[in-house]
Amino acid sequence: MKLPLWRRGQDRELDEEIESHLRLEIADRVARGEPQDEAARAARRRFGNVTVVKEVTRDMWGWVGFEQFAHDVRYALRALRKSPGFAIVAIATFALGIGVNTAMFSVINAVMLRPLPFPQPAQLVDVAELDLRPGQPRVPGSASWPNFFDWRTRATSFSGVSAYHDSAFTMLVGGRSVHTPGAVVSADFFTTLGVPPTLGRGFRADEERAGSDVVILSDSLWRSEFGAARSAIGSTLSLNGRPFTIIGVMPPAFRFPIRVPAPQLWVTVADDARALPGDEPMTTQRGAHYIGVVGRLRPAVTLAAARSELDAIAAALAREHPDDNGTRGVMLTPELDRLVGDTRRALVVLVGAVACVLLIACVNLANLLLARGAGRSREIALRLALGASRRRVVLQLLAESLVLAGAGTAAGLILASWCVRVLTTVAPTDVRGLDEVTIDSFVLAFTAAVGFLSALAFGSAPAWLGSQTSPRSAASDDGRTTAARGQGRLRAALVVAETGLGVVLLVAAGLLVRGFYLLVHTDPGYDTTHVVTAKFNLPEQRYSYLKQIAFYDDLFADLGARPGLQVTGVAPMPLSGSRYTLSFELAGAAVPQARRPSADFALVGPVFFRTMQIPIVAGRDFTAADSDSAPRVLAVNETFAQMFLQGHDPIGQRVKLSLSTTEKETPWREVVAVVRDFKQKALDEPSRPAFFVPYAQGLISPMFIVARTTDPPARVIEQLREAIGRRDPELALYDVRTLEEYVGRSVAAARFQMLLLALFAALALALTAVGLYGVIAYGVAQRTREFGIRLALGARPQEVMRLVLRGAMRMAGAGVAVGVVGAALLTRLLGAALYGVHPLDPVTFALVIVSLFGVALIAAFVPARRATRVDPMMALRAE
Amino acid sequence: MPGQRYQNRIELLQGTLDLLILQTLQWGPRHGYGISQAIAAVSADVLKVDTGSLYPALHRLERQKWIRAEWTTSERNQRTRVYELTRAGRAQLLHERSRWEQLSAAIGSVLAHSGEIPS
Repeated sequence: MKLPLWRRGQDRELDEEIESHLRLEIADRVARGEPQDEAARAARRRFGNVTVVKEVTRDMWGWVGFEQFAHDVRYALRALRKSPGFAIVAIATFALGIGVNTAMFSVINAVMLRPLPFPQPAQLVDVAELDLRPGQPRVPGSASWPNFFDWRTRATSFSGVSAYHDSAFTMLVGGRSVHTPGAVVSADFFTTLGVPPTLGRGFRADEERAGSDVVILSDSLWRSEFGAARSAIGSTLSLNGRPFTIIGVMPPAFRFPIRVPAPQLWVTVADDARALPGDEPMTTQRGAHYIGVVGRLRPAVTLAAARSELDAIAAALAREHPDDNGTRGVMLTPELDRLVGDTRRALVVLVGAVACVLLIACVNLANLLLARGAGRSREIALRLALGASRRRVVLQLLAESLVLAGAGTAAGLILASWCVRVLTTVAPTDVRGLDEVTIDSFVLAFTAAVGFLSALAFGSAPAWLGSQTSPRSAASDDGRTTAARGQGRLRAALVVAETGLGVVLLVAAGLLVRGFYLLVHTDPGYDTTHVVTAKFNLPEQRYSYLKQIAFYDDLFADLGARPGLQVTGVAPMPLSGSRYTLSFELAGAAVPQARRPSADFALVGPVFFRTMQIPIVAGRDFTAADSDSAPRVLAVNETFAQMFLQGHDPIGQRVKLSLSTTEKETPWREVVAVVRDFKQKALDEPSRPAFFVPYAQGLISPMFIVARTTDPPARVIEQLREAIGRRDPELALYDVRTLEEYVGRSVAAARFQMLLLALFAALALALTAVGLYGVIAYGVAQRTREFGIRLALGARPQEVMRLVLRGAMRMAGAGVAVGVVGAALLTRLLGAALYGVHPLDPVTFALVIVSLFGVALIAAFVPARRATRVDPMMALRAE
Repeated sequence: MPGQRYQNRIELLQGTLDLLILQTLQWGPRHGYGISQAIAAVSADVLKVDTGSLYPALHRLERQKWIRAEWTTSERNQRTRVYELTRAGRAQLLHERSRWEQLSAAIGSVLAHSGEIPS
């Protein structure tokens, strides 16, 4: 017999023990006078077969438990085969519970737990600037290049600290213009992240200087545009009209900053170090906050230590540059936490929901097992009478739960892998990791653990109760009654608990659905229908600042003149997820620069407000006459007028924005319009002060074209393409979308969370209904004789039915009461996801209560009708 | 299969043999051979403990932590495995003894009954 390693030593000891036994007996016999060889023979004969003794002794070493378990499992399998209906319902119920939990956990794993794909990912921290002005939320904000440069030279906590920001490139390859998302980074970017290029080299420090036009490509861009040719290194690529030298290619999996779509190329900060028309380069503008910063902590430097060092540096910078940095702080967050961001809360809610579903599934299983145990009490009593210990009986019943859980877990995994596939196709794509959800070994381990613990959870009470049968009842007939009564109470309590859980989930889902309904029906402040938008970049090489303005002027005039088409421009595009903010100064109020308030800001084209159908409360819309040579103007929204221009007629007030273009000094601008508030970044944002400037008086970013038309979008896009291509064939039109698509994208995450929660709530409701049905049906079966007697004594069928239904309603009522209290305590956790719905919204609560009672009635109706059909004679004879 | 046969015998003897082993060890640590000798001697050779029952019983009692084993060197300079009663074993001995006494009293009273058995 081959023994496992850890048993071999023990086996040698046993050999030795037997050896010593024989020696002792031989010695005894010799002492009594027997000859040595005879004594040895006698001792051996007396001892018996050494091999057999060893074998039976070894059996005591612990295999016994395992063998008994194997036996129990075989027995359980046989028992389950005998009642396939029970087995299928139980396994399917458990598979549902485990399946949704596995799927959700694989999401959590991919989004929150799986480390970032960089070496020593725990060392990476996000370094952000904080706006310390009173009234501003303390949220991580973008940094400016000069501040970043100072952090980089002064801080000693980091082995590397690097900056990055998204940038769009128009790439000229093979005579085609292709829009390509990319990033502008500091030269040490790849070193800090710890990922070198697979081909070529990384950036050198001296390549941060203006004029060093080098680029590193993503693996996919290298494959798609350069055929994965090694000769691509060293060749020239035209980006935004300027030649760049390709110096490296990143590995296929490298993706940072994490964006959708993923950046395809990286250039150095040299791109931002170029002098701008009429302005300093971005790398010297301390007040221009638009970059992200990632640092790698030195080994043994804690986050807290790095925080205090950076705080000190930020304080020093505030003293040195009071105008720009007087109210700027710094904030360090582990990079993974920063990336998970707002997703955490939504995921926690969803995890709570699937945990509820699993609990409900477990309660149903416990109920099924209790009913089954009651039916088997005679069999168990017999086993007890035959000498089985209660412990053995409990273990055997638990083995059955484990078999059910095992089969359910296997089925649940199949369900989960299917769920994951569906999930990844419908999930919003802007959450890091959501496109990499897989059932890996960690998820499998989690599922196995949950499956096992659940089996103990739903199996232990039925197993224990099952073993409490008296052995004596094996012989008599009434064994079930006493045991059944205690079980009946437990079963009712379980159903109450599961109804309560179901109520909590339904209320949560109901609130989210209502919140989502409110969200998508929020008036954004403009008409979102029949609007097509698109974007293109004008290469600065060939388009000076004034030429860019002229290009837009000409384009808007041309397109706007076409029949059935209203055309204007805007930047940033409402609901595209970006927001510009700018500080300003009011005439007559001398405020130091660092304390100046700021407001949302957008560049807009002529007739923007009319085209978007944003009501103008006072004043006039912008026109083509608001040109670079015209007096400087701006429009403000109502919130701005209320907050900053109160008590005056807003029209004609003067405001100075930190936005200058062709002027020597930052100009004062005159308010020419007050417009109704509209949603800039998200539908659920509260009203914020905002102002709007004609693009010709401060063009600082490429404009989106906004076209309103009743024509089909495809035709409008064709016209746009043609109009742009005719002016410059090297321009690439991108981000071509309708405004309604932007609305859809901005609510995608909310829609996803709502749909998932609604799905889980529906599952919970179905399982609760099954649980209620099971308990009521079982109760009716138990009381067949009672109903028979009642009917025989002249009770009318309706009375019997009412009796059953009343019992069901009592259970449902208790469950609803528990659930309503639970929901009232828990719905607050949904927080911002509710979009203005009160966590105790009475309509939702009322609807849930009514629907639960409805479901309970339906679940109780079938067994109740069965109760009225009891044949009194049959019922009596059955005894 | 011989193992099967032995196992059946263990089960038959189980309770009683355990009691005998624990009782024997009450007077001090002994090795397996010593235990079988002691039982034989005290029962005047009526009870002969089969090694195929003794060693499995010893290893099982050890697993149940009622007895504890230790390798020692005997007076004749031989390494032997010596068993000793644990505190739990002492408690178990008392328990098994009272059970045995109940049983033997019951059997005794049945055997002593000479009259008619009430139906």
